[in-house]
Amino acid sequence: MPVFRWGQNWDPFRDLEREVDRLLQGMNLSLQRSARRFPLINLIDSGDRFVLTAEIPGVELSDLELTAANGVLMIKGVRNPPQEAREDSFRRQERFQGAWQRSLQLPDRIDEDGMKAEYSLGILTVVLPKVAGIAARSIPITEGPA
Amino acid sequence: MSDQRDIVRANSDGDGTGDIAETENSTPRLLFNPPIDIYETNDGLVLYADLPGVNAEGLDLQIQDNRLALFGRVKTPSNTTGVVHEEYKIGDFLRSFILSDDVDHERITARLNNGVLRVELPRASRTEPRRIEVSTD
Repeated sequence: MPVFRWGQNWDPFRDLEREVDRLLQGMNLSLQRSARRFPLINLIDSGDRFVLTAEIPGVELSDLELTAANGVLMIKGVRNPPQEAREDSFRRQERFQGAWQRSLQLPDRIDEDGMKAEYSLGILTVVLPKVAGIAARSIPITEGPA
Repeated sequence: MSDQRDIVRANSDGDGTGDIAETENSTPRLLFNPPIDIYETNDGLVLYADLPGVNAEGLDLQIQDNRLALFGRVKTPSNTTGVVHEEYKIGDFLRSFILSDDVDHERITARLNNGVLRVELPRASRTEPRRIEVSTD
């Protein structure tokens, strides 16, 4: 059962992508990082908390915005091209540019007040502590009309 | 003496830059081709490379025979279990470039900030014609 649900609720290609990634991982090749999505996000469940990491190299802290509201975590920002670079002076342009935004639905057992975020070496790390002590609740079942 | 010109330091390991991940400890490391930008300025070329997770100590930038090679080592996280969602793998970065002859190797400078490497490749100033004295035996 998925604990986490991302932006789009249903994406038939995601499983396929994951499978292909797994296959590629098995072959120790030099891989080109995907530039389709920015930034790329990983999420790890480390027991009492979730840890989200996102590769967002080269942004200023002032251009980075992280909000949590109604169970949705949103990261957004802008990655500006160097000011001195003219549009026609590029010989190669592979890095992501411009405004970006990613959002994700938080599992409901997150302590939103205890969230912490840090940006270092181009990686944003967000710690999402789980709310402790939510035991499984037994729901009584009554017999309905026959 | 060799006429080798290294910007930062020569690779003392002796094995140069390989195409496949080094196997220092037996676990294979993934190697990625980082995305780059190259643009021209009045002074020469500027190169940017995205190297998230690489710090200055983990970056090796060297130049030899007009080939500029960058290698960025990323610290592997201790906790790799419990992955709920994964869009990127953790690995090192390697990419190399052939520089044209008019890049002044001696004046190349590099800076690493927030996981982005910026390398300035100044154009060599046009060399003055030099007269070569010819002598006879």
